[in-house]
Amino acid sequence: MSRIKAKRIGFRIDMTPMVDVAFLLLTFFMLTTKFRPPEVVQINLPSSHSVQKLPESNVLTVTVSSKNAFFMGVSSQQSREKIFNSVVKPKLTGAGMSAGAVADSLKKFRLAENFNVDRDELDKFVVMARFADPKLRPVVRADADAGFEAVNYVIKVYKKANLLTFNLITVLKKEVR
Amino acid sequence: MGIVDSPNGRSRKKKGRRRSKRIGFHLDMTPMVDVAFLLLTFFMLTTTFSKSNTMEINTPPEKLEVKVAENNVMTMRIAGDGMAYCSIGNDAPKRIPLYDPNDTRQLSMSTQLRTLLKQQTAANQKLVIVVKLSDKAKYKQLVDIIDELNLMKIDRFSLDDYTEQDALEVNRAV
Repeated sequence: MSRIKAKRIGFRIDMTPMVDVAFLLLTFFMLTTKFRPPEVVQINLPSSHSVQKLPESNVLTVTVSSKNAFFMGVSSQQSREKIFNSVVKPKLTGAGMSAGAVADSLKKFRLAENFNVDRDELDKFVVMARFADPKLRPVVRADADAGFEAVNYVIKVYKKANLLTFNLITVLKKEVR
Repeated sequence: MGIVDSPNGRSRKKKGRRRSKRIGFHLDMTPMVDVAFLLLTFFMLTTTFSKSNTMEINTPPEKLEVKVAENNVMTMRIAGDGMAYCSIGNDAPKRIPLYDPNDTRQLSMSTQLRTLLKQQTAANQKLVIVVKLSDKAKYKQLVDIIDELNLMKIDRFSLDDYTEQDALEVNRAV
């Protein structure tokens, strides 16, 4: 008895394996975490029972905010650069911007997840995006309170660009039927 | 926790007192492990493996015309007033609320609309549902209708433009 008790006093556990696992998990989470850039607008997505997942790459997103403003985003930076060079750059140089300022705004544009697009310019941007990357998957990401008129306009623009299959982003409803 | 042992104990004899301190020295790694766990919990809690859910929609190309017998077409017109106007063929449309009036969360369509859809699709295998939303309708209503049709496994539906004619039809509703 006394021998066992003596062992218990000031005993040590080797915590090395636990710490190893902790560090492994830590590095995993640190490397896989991609911080979502702050959104330009808050979008309150509609809910549905759909469980289909959206692919991460090659996505062309047109966001419609609750105030029916349009935002466009392309997932790959190369496509962003192409869109910039073909649509935005002529406009900027036309407005009398210097080459340095244009290069500066390109840098910003490449990193922007979304950018505001005027209603009548949307078709130009969508066609250019499709031209930059024909494999793009068109996606509509609209606020639940957005008017159908604005969403229908996006659908029409997609149709005109011959993008006939597209996805609507929703969130999963908790209720099961 | 962290115990580092010097591999060769021989050096103890040669080098004096200063070196002997180095042998079997303990490094308190508790603060480091604390920080590591703090970061670990932070990353674990902030990470949401977010992949959005989507619904896929196919639209027919503009020039393609599909001929369907009139009796096999059910038109669902959604005006801006939260009502669905359903009609089969050329009948006068029936006014049905989109959501149950006491369903404040509006998670699913009204039971009336659901039973109608179920009945009609069961009665006629060839039924095609044409959904027309007016410009005053909300995007949420479109998503809810498509979701409902998907849940009922009805894939014979299409979206169409809401025209003046449809507005007149809605006025004819009973």
